[in-house]
Amino acid sequence: MIEQELRNAIAQRAHPMSVIHPGLDLETLRQSCADCALHDMCLPAAIDGEDLARLDRVVKRRRPLERGDVLFREGTELPSLFVVRSGTLKTSTTLPEGDVQILGFHLPGEIIGLDGLSGERHMASAEALESATVCEVPFVRLSEVAASVPGLQLQLYRVMSREFVREQLHPVMMGRKQAMARLALFLHGFAERRRSTGLDDTDLTLSMSRQELANYLGLVIETVSRLFSRLQAQGVLSVDRKRVRILDPAALDALAKGEDDGVHLH
Amino acid sequence: MHVELIVIKSSLPATGDDRGMPAHDPVANIPLFDAALISRYDVSGPRYSSYPTTSQFNDAFDADAFRASALVSNEDPIPRELSIYVHVPSCLGPCYYRGCNRIIVRERRLAERYVDHLVRDIDQMSALFDHDRRVMQVHFGGVTPNFLDGAQLRRLMDVLHRHFDLSREPGREFGIALDARTATPQDIAMLAALGFNRLSIGIQDFDTDAQLAINRVQGIAETRALLDAAEHHGFRSTSVDLFYGVPLQTVERFTRTLELIVAMRPRRIVVRAYARFPPRFPAQRQSARHDLPDAATRLALLGLAVECLCAAGYLYIGMDHFALPDDDLAIAQREGSLQRNLQGYSTHAQTDLIGIGVSSISHVGTCFSQNRRDLAGYESAIDAAQLPIWRGLAMSDDDRIRADVIQQLMCRNEIDLRATSTKHGIVFEDYFVDSLRRLDPLVADGLVARSRSRITALPRGRLLLRTIAMCFDAYLGQPNANASPPFRTP
Repeated sequence: MIEQELRNAIAQRAHPMSVIHPGLDLETLRQSCADCALHDMCLPAAIDGEDLARLDRVVKRRRPLERGDVLFREGTELPSLFVVRSGTLKTSTTLPEGDVQILGFHLPGEIIGLDGLSGERHMASAEALESATVCEVPFVRLSEVAASVPGLQLQLYRVMSREFVREQLHPVMMGRKQAMARLALFLHGFAERRRSTGLDDTDLTLSMSRQELANYLGLVIETVSRLFSRLQAQGVLSVDRKRVRILDPAALDALAKGEDDGVHLH
Repeated sequence: MHVELIVIKSSLPATGDDRGMPAHDPVANIPLFDAALISRYDVSGPRYSSYPTTSQFNDAFDADAFRASALVSNEDPIPRELSIYVHVPSCLGPCYYRGCNRIIVRERRLAERYVDHLVRDIDQMSALFDHDRRVMQVHFGGVTPNFLDGAQLRRLMDVLHRHFDLSREPGREFGIALDARTATPQDIAMLAALGFNRLSIGIQDFDTDAQLAINRVQGIAETRALLDAAEHHGFRSTSVDLFYGVPLQTVERFTRTLELIVAMRPRRIVVRAYARFPPRFPAQRQSARHDLPDAATRLALLGLAVECLCAAGYLYIGMDHFALPDDDLAIAQREGSLQRNLQGYSTHAQTDLIGIGVSSISHVGTCFSQNRRDLAGYESAIDAAQLPIWRGLAMSDDDRIRADVIQQLMCRNEIDLRATSTKHGIVFEDYFVDSLRRLDPLVADGLVARSRSRITALPRGRLLLRTIAMCFDAYLGQPNANASPPFRTP
């Protein structure tokens, strides 16, 4: 099944790069590529020495974002690629009828802004869901460096492919007929992404609002809460405000695989 | 007339033998009325229906801050259920028996205008909360809210139903305070049809002299008829508010009142100290100071109430509340799920409380806010389509830790030191080193027992929960025995 393959792909790519020590405090690290905790899953993974210094010079470290701060909007010119260093961001796009569709939630170590790669402006918007820090690499400068550093080019393809695979999980999720399978798949993926950056994959803080989660999963807010309540009643999760602890990962996994839970959409 | 101090002695064992008795033990649950200790320790202080208390609210917390707290409260994967309090500040006749915000309404159209504003207040508020958040509690409170007529109450309930998801489950708590002078059994039928299932009736004293002194006359028969009607219409809980220390009240008269009330078997009885604030409420000046019972009599009245209610099978819940053993509050107390919030004791887990009306308090997430308490200011804010917020407070981490400790004390009669340390990431003994020092004399006097794992209010301390809680209040100095006259009103 395609979603199984996709999830395997995500899981596999996580391992060779997961050399980060668990519990590393990303905030306290020195702000240079060579010393960055995310080094191994980010652009500099395969390069060092003078090449790394060249890359480092084009990376802009932005001042911290606060909740609600917009990183870029649809139409923002001179697009950049951004790496989330800490916190969580969401990306979204405005649909023709004016509704906003959330495209993804982005955790530390993940890359956003690839929507701007093809042209002169961003095609999506990105906003901080909590205090967050990002590194910015303008595409124009990145192309210049990448042209002369073959290792960087290869790593760039890897990173892009990784993000592409991750984003493919969303349509897979949306293809699920059962609301519970969508949520379970999301939580499962979320936990896996935390594990890949060396963080506790059973203790999640969902910094997105219920409304945002509902939008992303194509559900109504009532359903989101009902599903969380049910998972809590079944002992799969414990939910305390925004903190979600996964008590029974195997059960969550089974639900993510789409075992019928009786709740169908419409 | 001089009244002897009556010290009620219980047959319970002496303090030394009580130590370490668990809170749910039915024997330990019986408060021990020790007049000497109470007169030494019962100083004026907060009732801790919230921590921090309203005196810490400030006007830096404004409508924008409230709006932000409401929006954040919608964001949890499982948002809290809601609780709605509607304040009705008026009564039909001048009633000068309590120090509570009230406005004397002589004309019905003032009431109608106020209801119009309540409707718009509800409308504004509901826009801030997601529509699927179930409302488990509704309370119409104030001095005597039944000055609203049936049509007005129906209108308000209809508006609430339209704007919020009001629960229809039997476990809901939809309550209203009634004035026995004006309510009739037919009103009870109407209230039941509107979804109310809880009732509280204010009774000061059945003795006519005492009632005349505070301009309230209400008959025993009328009160009994209301309670019977409530029972008939399936009201889950009935509560009677009983006041001691009312002008002209004597031990003899109060004994008679207690006997009459106990015979009616309301499920809950609240024994409140009569409050008198002459400077703010001119009507109360008509109660001549010399008619007020003296301190010794007031103490004896309280002792009498505790003894009489416990002897009649009521369980002491905490603070000023008593309930029959099969009442929800008593069950929640036994099961350790009792809660205390701005509306007093409750069986519902933490909800977000929305205050509607003049002077009402909201508690959303970790923020408190209070509406303007002057009617003109409240109505003009509503007229300008603004939230009528006057002041409030966003709790700090320290506030949250102390609120949790005080809540444990008020509801479970003890503080679990290890659970508290784990929950908040503190070392209790270090964090509360000052509080524990303040607690020492209370331990020495047998009000409180301290072990390595818990702090427990002993039978002698149960009527002084407030004094014990004050040790954990960061906004107070040391509670000082003999600092103020006993039985000052909360």
